[in-house]
Amino acid sequence: MMVKTEEKADELTLPSFLIDRPWVTIVWDDPVNLMSYVTYVFVTVFGYSKERATELMLKVHNEGRAVVSSGSREEMERDVQRLHEFGLWATLSHDGDK
Amino acid sequence: MVISSAFLRHGDGSFVAIFADTEKEVLINLTEQLIEILAERVDAVHTDPLAAMVNMTGHDSPPDDEVLARLLPNACADPVDSADFRRFTETELRSKKRSHALVVRSNLLNLEKSTVRLNEESAQAWLGALNDIRLALGVRLNVQEQSHEQLELLSPDDPMRGVYAVYTWLGWLQESLVQALMDDVDEDDSHEDEEGWEIDA
Repeated sequence: MMVKTEEKADELTLPSFLIDRPWVTIVWDDPVNLMSYVTYVFVTVFGYSKERATELMLKVHNEGRAVVSSGSREEMERDVQRLHEFGLWATLSHDGDK
Repeated sequence: MVISSAFLRHGDGSFVAIFADTEKEVLINLTEQLIEILAERVDAVHTDPLAAMVNMTGHDSPPDDEVLARLLPNACADPVDSADFRRFTETELRSKKRSHALVVRSNLLNLEKSTVRLNEESAQAWLGALNDIRLALGVRLNVQEQSHEQLELLSPDDPMRGVYAVYTWLGWLQESLVQALMDDVDEDDSHEDEEGWEIDA
């Protein structure tokens, strides 16, 4: 019983469960973009550390896609627009799976 | 005779590369093609007078041309959301990409002694334009995750062989610029001088 409650609490802390931040930006793997370039773009666009940017780049590379930011729809539209300027293949979504 | 070199970051914060004449000509040519392809779309033009009144003349459908479709991709899985997004953003995206290519073209046309010297702002424009050209070439070469081996083995008389050589060269050039810019992000990460490169053309 105790375990169940803890699990539920864990789920509730996931960003996708927060009502006011339901949108995400997804970057998809692309055979042309250089790995170092994708890392550089994450650092430049999001201000992520080189370590975090590299981690995300590897997730895109290994899993085919990664959620790179979350926030309001307007914020995600701005992120996608910026990533398109850099030539990354990015989409926004409100369920993180499209 | 000029020995070309990839981008290196100099002590004054500038980014410097040396181009052989052939390389310069190839890159100017590709940049001009990119500028042309990013010019106003001629396919499926919608002329909505109301939209024109509020200066919103963007398209709402993805471009027919594969290269342009890659440079100006859909932003959402949902076609209706994608169309909305495109209507409001495509014109600006196209003009940003075009301005990057124009910077590269102008720098190459005004070379002094084969040397390109960039400040951080123009280095970013170069990075964007080099990437766009590689994306475009990648579409035309049908580059896939596992296709590099096949492309390496193209026969000498295949016209795509030269295109692939340029694609690889631009990857090397872009990589050097990324590393030079990343040195700024991570000062401890020093890089040895890159080896030279010759275009097989």
